[in-house]
Amino acid sequence: MTFPYKGYAGRYVEVDLGSQDVSIKEMRKDWALYYLGGTGVAARVLWDRTGPDTAPLSPDSVLVVGTGPLTGVMFSPAGRMMFAARSPLTGVWGESHVGGFFGPEMKFAGFDMVVITGRAEHPVYLLLRDGHAELRDARHLWGRETDTVTYMLREELGDPTVETAVIGPAGENLVAYGAVIVDMYRAAGRTGMGTVMGSKNLKAVVASGSLGLEAHDMDAYLRANEVELQRLRDPLWEASLGSLRKYGTTDLVAIINEIGRLPTKNHWTGYFERADEIGPEAIAERYRLAQEACFGCLIGCKYVYRIDSGRYRSGPAGGPEYETLMAFGSNCLNADLESVIYLGHRCDLLGMDTISCGKTIGFAMELWEKGLLTAEDTGGLDLSWGNTETMAELVELIARREGIGDLLARGVREAAETVGGDAWKYAVHVKGLEASGQDPRAHQSIGLTYATNVRGADHLRSLSSLEELGYPEIVIQRFGKEKADGILDIMSPLYKGELIKDVEDLYALVDSAVICKYGTMWPPVYYFDTFTNIIPPLTGMTEWGDMAFVRSAAERTCHLRRAYNHRLGLTREHETLPKRLLEEPMPTGPAKGGLPDLDVMLDEYYQYRGCDRTTGLPLRGTLERLGLSDIADDLERRGVLAGGPSDTS
Amino acid sequence: MEQVIVVRAELCTGCRDCELACSVRQTGTFNPSRSRVQVMKDETTGTVLPVLCLQCDVPLCRQACPVGALVEGPGGALTVREDRCIGCGSCVTACVYGGIELDPKTRLAVKCDLCGDGPPACVAACEYGALELQERDRGLVGRLDGVRTVMRAYGVGEEAVRN
Repeated sequence: MTFPYKGYAGRYVEVDLGSQDVSIKEMRKDWALYYLGGTGVAARVLWDRTGPDTAPLSPDSVLVVGTGPLTGVMFSPAGRMMFAARSPLTGVWGESHVGGFFGPEMKFAGFDMVVITGRAEHPVYLLLRDGHAELRDARHLWGRETDTVTYMLREELGDPTVETAVIGPAGENLVAYGAVIVDMYRAAGRTGMGTVMGSKNLKAVVASGSLGLEAHDMDAYLRANEVELQRLRDPLWEASLGSLRKYGTTDLVAIINEIGRLPTKNHWTGYFERADEIGPEAIAERYRLAQEACFGCLIGCKYVYRIDSGRYRSGPAGGPEYETLMAFGSNCLNADLESVIYLGHRCDLLGMDTISCGKTIGFAMELWEKGLLTAEDTGGLDLSWGNTETMAELVELIARREGIGDLLARGVREAAETVGGDAWKYAVHVKGLEASGQDPRAHQSIGLTYATNVRGADHLRSLSSLEELGYPEIVIQRFGKEKADGILDIMSPLYKGELIKDVEDLYALVDSAVICKYGTMWPPVYYFDTFTNIIPPLTGMTEWGDMAFVRSAAERTCHLRRAYNHRLGLTREHETLPKRLLEEPMPTGPAKGGLPDLDVMLDEYYQYRGCDRTTGLPLRGTLERLGLSDIADDLERRGVLAGGPSDTS
Repeated sequence: MEQVIVVRAELCTGCRDCELACSVRQTGTFNPSRSRVQVMKDETTGTVLPVLCLQCDVPLCRQACPVGALVEGPGGALTVREDRCIGCGSCVTACVYGGIELDPKTRLAVKCDLCGDGPPACVAACEYGALELQERDRGLVGRLDGVRTVMRAYGVGEEAVRN
């Protein structure tokens, strides 16, 4: 039987690094139909092939490298791909998405995804080229920084157009938050996917291809696609897109500071008085060289920077995003923009997540201030707020895991446990993942997002821009007039459970398709009807023309990822917020006094998600409705299905 | 031939949507490697440049072709006659602009034919205005202007540009 759907490359690769076995398989119909691609298929694969005893850095852990049907087929923005595995940083569900050109190239090389297990005896890289897949020696690449590796791979393959996904020294040295760097300076940063590669002795995945992708009905698909792109080009979104094109995500430094939600001083407050100095205008005026875009993207939020002289001379290279400016800037009380740009660049070259790295350094600076870390612990380094010399040193020490860097390479949760005492009070994380650049004390629903996000405290599984930036028409369209006022009140917990469940479902499809959050998260243009409109003519999966089917697919992926975490023992008690964000009222800025009403939102979320309120565990009926009876049976055996194994009510 | 495609390099973001659009028009598939326009990228200088046939007055590719496969098409642009092309690659060697390539699937020469009579797919697809269809007279100047940023990036002086 041949894989019937178009838009996909139609094949995937299974790699066992231990036995060096590489086998090419036909893409599975049920994966495409019920999980679409990306995070959905990864959830199915990781559920099926690993168990709660599979340690993240053990040889038998499984790493999924995934794309989706919308990767590389003129939908925009869709130049993305993803990695998924059990996270070495959090110990639970890990996934990280990245733009650039690698994902589409993987499909043009003939593969929708790669499933990797085992550990190679010595460093290797995986080459995907025109329907072939092979492992090659990477001993000469080991230890080298990501840009050097990319240049060397292009050179040795005699092909300047190969696209690469590589790890740096941080991933090799098993820093808990090692990143995968794609196409020179795009990062799949979060949850340590680069570390998983490092533990497997896998230095890079390289793709180059000239195999075309087909559409089920090309004319119908192109027409449907054009309808969607016209929605994005609506004058309504001109300001949002204009900002993204001119400043990229750096504009958020200004926008977010204005609503008092810019994490500052290790998340102590949400307002940074010197935000202008690390903001969009400063970057655009002095360091921005040119606008860039990922594959086939009509938004183009990326940019290239260069610092011409001085201690931080660097570039041309990809410029820092909002999150990096936050993590090494406001979060560390550092207004020296050149140092922030430089630190972000160093993280790209070392292959390290800028958010976790910056937030861990900010955490260490607070411990220093509180006397919980002293010069004796730091090897003489002075960790005062905003000490850029120290920050630059720490980034290198962390990547090499030397001195104090070895402690900080484990992330804030484990570092706090090691330091002991009151250190845990300053560890701002959920499920072990350092919080990204938001704050629930200024934006209620992000608290629910952080708490329920399967990978921990960040925004990308369900951040709602609807009330964050205020889109009343969209709120009325999606949730009705009656609930509009409640939803649009950024500091009210009203209807936020319903809102976040809806957004999480939507992003589950976005992350399976695999497309970008821009155009969906912000501006909020694409919705579930985008999928009913374009998936059938592209793929031939007529079921995807049915809204109920599409909604179910979204819920299925959300529940399967949640089940993966339940199997590891997570329940409602883990879906919470760090003390600072839950109990310390916002001390300064426009959101002064704010605190999230997490329990109210959580109760409503579980109700809409089809889970038990007390435990956060799924109801059997919910899983059965989504075709996940096998998952329900498994959870029941483990005693983590709502009601427990003996429930007969 | 009355029109040429002008590249405005400083507006190009390197997204390669032109390649996708071209491949769909020319091959009916999404396959940038078979596109008649190729976006070159050089991270060391931060440069991106869409490369495609410049529709030369005196086409070196045609002179180099041993079988007379390059002929004027319906829109006036030089096109490859697949029934004559033997895939020898002489045209690729002859063209100093990278405007003609061998198709990785057919192994025959392919080049931009301005999409025959219709508006070029790449121009329509470019969201950033980096590809423009211009009247030939104006376009010859525009073509030079459009790549000045790239020439500067590679240290090619203004004098050299004027000559």
